[in-house]
Amino acid sequence: MIGAVDSPPSGAAPTRGDTRGPARRVRSRRRDKARQGRVAVLFTLPFLIIFALTMLAPIGYAIYTSLFTSKLIGGTSFSGFANYSQVFHAGEFWSGVERVAIFAVIQVPITLLLAFFFAAIFDLGIVRFSGIFRALYFIPFAVPAVVASIMWSFLLVPQYGAYARVAHANFFTSKMILVTIILIVIWEVTGYNMVIFYTALKSVPKEVVESAILDGATLRHIITRIKLPMVRPAIIMLSILNLIGALQLFTEPSILSGFEPQSVSFGFTPVIYIYNTAIGDGEYNLAAAAAVVFALVIAAVSVGWLVAVRRKGTLA
Amino acid sequence: MKQKATPPGMVPLHLLGVSRRTQVTLTTICVLFGVFTLAPIIWIVINSTKTQFNIIQSFGFWFARPFELVHNLLLLNQNVGDDGTYLQWLGNTALYAVAGSAGATVLSALAGYAFSRYRFRGSRALFALVMSALLVPIAALGLPLYLVYAKVGLINTVWGMILPSMVSPVGVYLMKVFIDASIPQDLIDAARMDGAGEVRIFLRIGVPLMVPGLVTVLLLSVVAVWNNYFLPLIIYSRDSLYPITVGLGALTGRATSAGSTQIEPLLVMGGFVTIVPLIALFLVLQRYWRGGALLGGLTG
Repeated sequence: MIGAVDSPPSGAAPTRGDTRGPARRVRSRRRDKARQGRVAVLFTLPFLIIFALTMLAPIGYAIYTSLFTSKLIGGTSFSGFANYSQVFHAGEFWSGVERVAIFAVIQVPITLLLAFFFAAIFDLGIVRFSGIFRALYFIPFAVPAVVASIMWSFLLVPQYGAYARVAHANFFTSKMILVTIILIVIWEVTGYNMVIFYTALKSVPKEVVESAILDGATLRHIITRIKLPMVRPAIIMLSILNLIGALQLFTEPSILSGFEPQSVSFGFTPVIYIYNTAIGDGEYNLAAAAAVVFALVIAAVSVGWLVAVRRKGTLA
Repeated sequence: MKQKATPPGMVPLHLLGVSRRTQVTLTTICVLFGVFTLAPIIWIVINSTKTQFNIIQSFGFWFARPFELVHNLLLLNQNVGDDGTYLQWLGNTALYAVAGSAGATVLSALAGYAFSRYRFRGSRALFALVMSALLVPIAALGLPLYLVYAKVGLINTVWGMILPSMVSPVGVYLMKVFIDASIPQDLIDAARMDGAGEVRIFLRIGVPLMVPGLVTVLLLSVVAVWNNYFLPLIIYSRDSLYPITVGLGALTGRATSAGSTQIEPLLVMGGFVTIVPLIALFLVLQRYWRGGALLGGLTG
């Protein structure tokens, strides 16, 4: 999954004073400005065209499609919110939403705690050869989620997995499968989060830490009272990116189901539900409605989370 | 015990009041997490040399006879699971990754430069629109793309993968932040005074100063394409277009059912070969992405 890769930050863009070239004559300056405006359009246009074609247009078209129904006999006809009403009553879809919510509530905090913990002790230089550890922890970032899921499946599959043998446990039962996926995703993303925390911690001036020591602060105080508050923007950012990634869970369960087909149901996660509804059943209109509902759920959760953390303190 | 020299920018350890025992405990935890991280990689390296029987039967973390490294490498060019050959998928992934990430880097650099160094009508609103795309769930976008492709005939074409891979809102953001911080406006103004055109300024002054940012966006884009599973899974039904992820995914579906004894070795070897280029890429370019470059102004 490595959701964090794809989707960073908002806000925090440094502003810049309006520094234009020194005044010559007003008319030539105005002409310069007009020319620069044209160049700016020229520079942004290639991106904006493909952006519109591959993001805006599909979203619009999906919303449009979701308002129709295709029948084998009678063809496609406008059906208003019928598909939405079906999605709202689809128990499988909502049980998937519930599952990814549980998944996110467990996986994201563990990931962030581990990542911050390691970043903090590497930053303070408590552990030797921390450069090696940092490089090592970052390796899973270069492993596609498909490959990670295959490796872990071989290690955990009940019949012969090396870990399954040692643990005497079946990691693929309907109760355990979510725990297994949490384990895999933590393996995948902790190092990346750690690197981001580490970079953020490095920007805390050492004088701050030194003066805290003079005031008698202990190690725990330095980490929780000084370092933690100073990387608050990074925490907020990473929490939202990990959250969005977690809710879109798809790759890991679908690869695991290749090893144990019974372990993953039709609507195991919302994205799996959308995939099976569209590609499996050919019900594209219904799937489009589910995709729209799901995008709105994610948007609501993201905005809700941002509002919640903003209320607790200022967003730096 | 000799006192270790403290690197600049770091608080001397003894000042922190860390006891020897705390240090040993923390080091142990780091080593354990390192083992947790590395073990699956070691497993895949070792097991890429085994037969199917030994992948299942022998001890996972040591080698077993017969040593089938070469045999398994040859499997990469065989149509074992009836979904095409691994080498074909690798070629496809490379094509999508190179074209997509090159496009993403160029488009992000141009757009990021414009958003950073020009004020034009609607620039703030446009930038906000691009940034809001960061919150769009990529997986939720897969199906809409599929629906549009079905209309315009882009299903089962290479462009179906390359075009969306060229759009990187993150890349635009990173480039803008990077340019804000690393290209002085005075330099641009001076060049304008000398009569240089805007495009020339961008190419001669902007681009050389943007290199670390460009490498970062390139790396992130390559990884994103290399990892992409959902989009190619739904838009490709022809296995000659599969990227590695979809090919390997199709193989896992056959691992349990098909009778072939070659599928597991191919899965393991294929997985191993998939991660080598990316790790190599990171090692080659580590000079650039190390430091804050990977994160751009991410941490504010």
